[in-house]
Amino acid sequence: MGARVRVVCGGMTDLGRVRSNNEDCFRIVTQLNLFVLADGMGGEAHGEVASALAVETVVNHCLDAEANPAAQVLGEVQPNWSANTKRLLTAVHLANRNIFKSAEEHPEQHGMGATLTAAWIDRAKLSIAHVGDSRAYLLRGGSLLQLTRDHSLVAEQVRRGVLTLAEAEESDMQSVLLRALGAQPEIEVDAEEHILFPRDVLLLCSDGLTRMVTEPEIAGVLQAETDPVRGAEELIALANERGGPDNITVVIVRVLKDSKGWFSWLRRGARKNSGSNGNVGGK
Amino acid sequence: MPKLSLMFGNKIVREVPVGGRPVTIGRAPDNDLSVDNLAVSNYHAKIYYEAGRMVVEDLDSLNGTFVNDLRIERATLHDGDKIHIGKHTIKVDTSGDAPLPWDSGRKTAAPRINETMVLDTKERRQMLQQAAAMGESMQFAAARVKVPTLMVLGGNTDQKEYILTNKLTVIGKSAMATVRLKGWFKPQMAAQINQRDDGYYLGPGDKVPSVNGKAISGPARLSDGDVIEVSGVKLNFIFRE
Repeated sequence: MGARVRVVCGGMTDLGRVRSNNEDCFRIVTQLNLFVLADGMGGEAHGEVASALAVETVVNHCLDAEANPAAQVLGEVQPNWSANTKRLLTAVHLANRNIFKSAEEHPEQHGMGATLTAAWIDRAKLSIAHVGDSRAYLLRGGSLLQLTRDHSLVAEQVRRGVLTLAEAEESDMQSVLLRALGAQPEIEVDAEEHILFPRDVLLLCSDGLTRMVTEPEIAGVLQAETDPVRGAEELIALANERGGPDNITVVIVRVLKDSKGWFSWLRRGARKNSGSNGNVGGK
Repeated sequence: MPKLSLMFGNKIVREVPVGGRPVTIGRAPDNDLSVDNLAVSNYHAKIYYEAGRMVVEDLDSLNGTFVNDLRIERATLHDGDKIHIGKHTIKVDTSGDAPLPWDSGRKTAAPRINETMVLDTKERRQMLQQAAAMGESMQFAAARVKVPTLMVLGGNTDQKEYILTNKLTVIGKSAMATVRLKGWFKPQMAAQINQRDDGYYLGPGDKVPSVNGKAISGPARLSDGDVIEVSGVKLNFIFRE
């Protein structure tokens, strides 16, 4: 612990089989180990505008952290949080403001919005910020652990004991969100910190995946396929096999084993693993 | 939200909110408001909203339902009315917004939505009030907040109890674990607890934990009072009020 953790990562987004445009968007910023995913909503092409604006705002605010570390912190923070967690939380609040402002300035964009799930890894610390019904999962010790909770009506009803999980999955209200970026001038953003261990696998995904593919299936693919890009492809293919009614986006980040062994310097050249590096845009 | 207060003498015995679902009153324990008194029939009366008004209906009870000392079969209720059932009194408080009829709202407001949409604040408040009212009347007196807690029953840890606030609670030797194990050969991450929508799940880490003496074979949902054992530590999972 303490040392920078090594990760391999990759992501992919897909139109699905029914929609004519992709309102999902994601970005991987390898120099920061920052991963951002958004799912847009709104008529015409405005969902795409909202999700792209959300991702861009969050990425830019985090990239700016080094040059401008003293920027104002927005939202409710816990005092023991790292600078990164506070930065990420602030970035999501800024994204909300930007989408809301854009919709006010352009009447045709009225009603547009986006979900957003972002993860930032610094050393062994994982910061998560989240609004909406995209999800972050951690595969650890064979268990798939959900790190976010959906801000949807049915999920809230399950939490209140009104619906069972099975009823929620059958509900025709699954698309009703209680929180999304851009719907209101100010919103509540969930943020949390976790520790990462070697061999942890982080997954960010849009609801186009989780509504079509079960958690045991997701866990199975993450365990069996060690290449993040191929893992993402497989998960997307599974969702499409079942009709692919919505856009599907998957980002996979694998934490590598500690290289504290005697000959670890020998392996240094092999670090740039897999062809998944670089800024991968949505669409 | 409108509510009913069950009184015995001058003492409030219980309060329940009135939502879209009827509140049933009677001696049987499956009533929303169960009144343990022989003068009360098993299913004595029910109170519900109709066209924005709170209504009480007697369910052919033996000793009758009285509103402000008048025996009724059915009556519209007003703020401050007193319903007498056996030796108990139910005080009516209709202040607060009348709830939307939940069932009809569910059917008409949602003609199968494929496009994602966000509820505006007002709709959202009303729907959540409905959800809360249903939740509360289904498992009565659930109004108190319950805090999931791990009490240490045995073993070497850095605290005697832990309140679970995160989605993920790590039990292990790691400096960043929530429940920190002390000792030479303890694993960095022995086990973990994941908070999900429908409850708390214990999952294996470097060790396979046991719940109530049985080793788990995958994520196991924890119930109030479960005893978790892992890496020489014994923890009691409880919901504290």
